[in-house]
Amino acid sequence: MNIFDLCGLDFIWPDGAPCLSGIDLCVADGEFVLFKGPSGGGKSTLLRVLARLESPNSGTMLYQGAPLNALAPERYRREVCLIQQTPSIVSGSVRDNLLLPFSFRVNKELPAPDDEALRQGLDSLLLSGVRLEMPAANLSVGQRQRLCLLRAMLLSPRVLLLDEPTSALDPESRRVVEDAAEHLCAEQGVTVLLVSHNDYQPRSVAFRTVNLTGCRLVETV
Amino acid sequence: MTGTGPIAIGPEQLALTLVFVLVAGVISLVYNLGLHKSLAIGTVRTFVQLFLMGYALKYIFALQMGLPVVVVFAAMVAAAAHIVHGRVPEREVAFGLPVFGAMVATYMLVATTVTGLIIGADPWWEPRYFLPIGGMVAGNSMNALSISLERLFSSLRARRAEIEMKLSLGADYREASNDIMREAIRAGMIPSINSLMGVGLVSIPGMMTGQIIAGADPAMACRYQIVVMLMIAAATALSSFMVITIVRRMCFGEDFRLLLHKDRD
Repeated sequence: MNIFDLCGLDFIWPDGAPCLSGIDLCVADGEFVLFKGPSGGGKSTLLRVLARLESPNSGTMLYQGAPLNALAPERYRREVCLIQQTPSIVSGSVRDNLLLPFSFRVNKELPAPDDEALRQGLDSLLLSGVRLEMPAANLSVGQRQRLCLLRAMLLSPRVLLLDEPTSALDPESRRVVEDAAEHLCAEQGVTVLLVSHNDYQPRSVAFRTVNLTGCRLVETV
Repeated sequence: MTGTGPIAIGPEQLALTLVFVLVAGVISLVYNLGLHKSLAIGTVRTFVQLFLMGYALKYIFALQMGLPVVVVFAAMVAAAAHIVHGRVPEREVAFGLPVFGAMVATYMLVATTVTGLIIGADPWWEPRYFLPIGGMVAGNSMNALSISLERLFSSLRARRAEIEMKLSLGADYREASNDIMREAIRAGMIPSINSLMGVGLVSIPGMMTGQIIAGADPAMACRYQIVVMLMIAAATALSSFMVITIVRRMCFGEDFRLLLHKDRD
């Protein structure tokens, strides 16, 4: 079964400018899909629509064969997790930030990771030098982006929507984030939809490239 | 002064106060502050509105009927809601009507409690007590509401990324914006709390001054003022909480989507 089935999806900005037009797209469970295309082509908006942060004007969207709104938004977003281009943190320590999702009602049923698990997570993303008690505000942009990725990973999502997660990162940090996304897909079966502006191509996982140009899905490789 | 009554202010003395406004107007003209027109309109409105209110109150006091009192009170709250709406430059969320509803509910609750229960007026709508009390509640807490609403809208816009991050991790709209709501209510409450701190030290409030000038016992005037101060603080807290709770929900649409300001990619 596909994880997403999109059919005839249109999205128009409130000022009347079209953003997505007639998008038909199927994404298989566990697939790695790379979204390419010029800026303003609608890639980020498509991810926001999939995260239910925007509402399409027309078209149908199915998640695991059922309409997107069959699940309550909190529960859906726990499974389909969006990480935005600019890493967003809250005031407090690194630990506070990593455990933030576990303070939300919908995630209370999940066991909150202990410090050891958090440290292992930080190590896996080459954040060994980051202490759990240090203020998250002291982290660099690259470190923050990796923290955001780890925070989402701790929820064990079924789908990761990554909106240009490496655009502000140095080559080393970029590689770490890309490897982590590929690892999640290859080893844990997480479906990954990743928007990328640069020439990134996954190295360790089979993938599909989707081009979004002029609001339309023009090519699927 | 004759006995314990106030010294009467005649038309000539009233006209003399215009000198103050004229001086302010001249300063505005000389220094090109651009305030002289607003000052002139404000002065005229003060005269017209207060005289109209004075005569209306005289008439309503004489009527001794509940309905006109409640209608005048509703009109006062509507005017306050209109002023709040005008001061908060937010047009993406139609918050005017809910704000009016919340203001009517909280002000009514506080004003009736004060007149009926604390002062013990009989009936509770006794216009000599109810209308000035209701007016003070509305007039003072509308500033708090303007501040709270302005803070709520500006923070929701400025911290959109943080809110969406929380939503993306499974938060509902409350969890995603609780800290913003708290800050908004706190910002609106600060002037009221400052008033509680400074009253009697920095200022002798208007109602107490008025009663003392009218010949009332200062101790009694003081008691009334305490009731008024606490009433204003309570009304401000209640109305801010109610209004911000309602308006915050309105800022989030279906699926808890934040409706304010959509950035394009």
